[in-house]
Amino acid sequence: MEAGSEPLPLDILITNVVCVFRVRCHLDLRHIALKGANVMYKRDEGKVVMKLRRPRVTATIWSSGKIISTGATSEDEAKIGARKCARCLQKLGFQVRFGAFRVVNVLAVCSMPFEIRLPDFTKQQRPLASYEPELHPAVNFKIKPLTASMQIFSTGSITITDTSGEQSTERAEGARPEMRRKKTETTELLAMAK
Amino acid sequence: MIIRKRVKMAAMAAVSSPRPHPVTKIYCPSHPDAVLVEDYRAGDMICPECGLVVGDRMIDVGSEWRTFSNDHVGKDPSRVGDAQNPLLNGGDLSTVIGKGTGAASFDEFGNSKYQNRRAMTSQDRAMLTAFREINTMADRINLPRNIVDRTNNLFKQVYEQRCLKGRSNDAIASACLYIACRQEGVPRTFKEICAVSRISKKEIGRCFKLILKALETSVDLITTGDFMSRFCSNLGLPKAVQIAATHIARRAVDLDLVPGRSPISVAAAAIYMASQASADKRTQKEIGDIAGVADVTIRQSYRLLYFKAAELFPPDFKFDTPVDKLPQL
Repeated sequence: MEAGSEPLPLDILITNVVCVFRVRCHLDLRHIALKGANVMYKRDEGKVVMKLRRPRVTATIWSSGKIISTGATSEDEAKIGARKCARCLQKLGFQVRFGAFRVVNVLAVCSMPFEIRLPDFTKQQRPLASYEPELHPAVNFKIKPLTASMQIFSTGSITITDTSGEQSTERAEGARPEMRRKKTETTELLAMAK
Repeated sequence: MIIRKRVKMAAMAAVSSPRPHPVTKIYCPSHPDAVLVEDYRAGDMICPECGLVVGDRMIDVGSEWRTFSNDHVGKDPSRVGDAQNPLLNGGDLSTVIGKGTGAASFDEFGNSKYQNRRAMTSQDRAMLTAFREINTMADRINLPRNIVDRTNNLFKQVYEQRCLKGRSNDAIASACLYIACRQEGVPRTFKEICAVSRISKKEIGRCFKLILKALETSVDLITTGDFMSRFCSNLGLPKAVQIAATHIARRAVDLDLVPGRSPISVAAAAIYMASQASADKRTQKEIGDIAGVADVTIRQSYRLLYFKAAELFPPDFKFDTPVDKLPQL
């Protein structure tokens, strides 16, 4: 692994896709809670949580017909899961029309093969990076003007949240050169210390 | 507030205050160029050439009373009103109805008739409440005046921006206090601010981030050395131990022995190591109480430091307990 040479293949895993959609009709939550399978009724908050097995998603259903689905591992899976959820509601007897599907958030995780020195990194990336060790052990790195936001840990793990899966991958690739600089210093110092 | 009034010289003497001759004002008909002399006793303007009384009933705007240097300071009648807080309010130029003095100002129940004495805008009132709260909080941890002033300024800026309007004012005040301490170079931990405020650490942290975004500033990172003097003196440790602890913590960060650990935890572990090596030993629990760090956290960081203990101490440190006898946790 030479520093500054050709880019290493980064393993970027999408771990969570959050999407919203509508079924375009009012839903009777009590009916769903009584008759539906794999549901949990949260009466105080006015929502029903439905968990599907395949794809493994959790859907939060409101009586207005708005549904948020989380836990999918890819955007296509998210769509399939959403449709499955709508199908379940249809089988319970509601006049369901699937609409307004939109991916809201994609969470991807990747790991740099080196450790990162957070204070120095923050100093270099001043307005974009914010590091509060008392609040959270990671640096919050917001890539403007894009909607992506990254959390960089000192072990080299990075989580990226963005509104779309491809964008997250791009972001990770883009941020790597900056971290590479930090990596070389780290490895040099570790070598000196030992 | 001193209202400066022009004091006219005594007009008995021939010397009159030099005033430019205004065109529209009065003048002696036979001597138009003559500068009129004011006789303050009678309120007249007299022409010095012929003695004609030209103006009548001039109002003297001199001071109503005389002040002597040996008078009691608090009774200076030419000072009116409270000390002005010019930057932080809308200007103290409002009129208030004072407390009644005679019997007529009280109604049958003993309440004063004019009850609405202070008509302040609700904005000003909210700000004054916040300033009072900031003062109380700062007082509890003995913060100097400059930090309090900075906090007040920050609060005013944030309040006027109205971005954080929904948040509790106390939360914003606590976060401003935290930022002010940081900006002045003497940071306080979130836990220390929590101790003097009724707001939770989470809420203060959220407001802190929002304020930095709203004011578009950033603050310097905290270092271990910022807290050393405070923690060590609270524990009653001598100067040598404090210097040693500072050195240990700095070396640990330089050697990157403690990646990802909060500087507070590292500082606490360094203090533990330094105190255990000296004659003044402190337990982890004591240090944890002062620093606001759990003693397991100190143990974790200490283990990382113990590994390289010999290199971390300053070269001229007097060991009461040698390095190999340091407690191993």
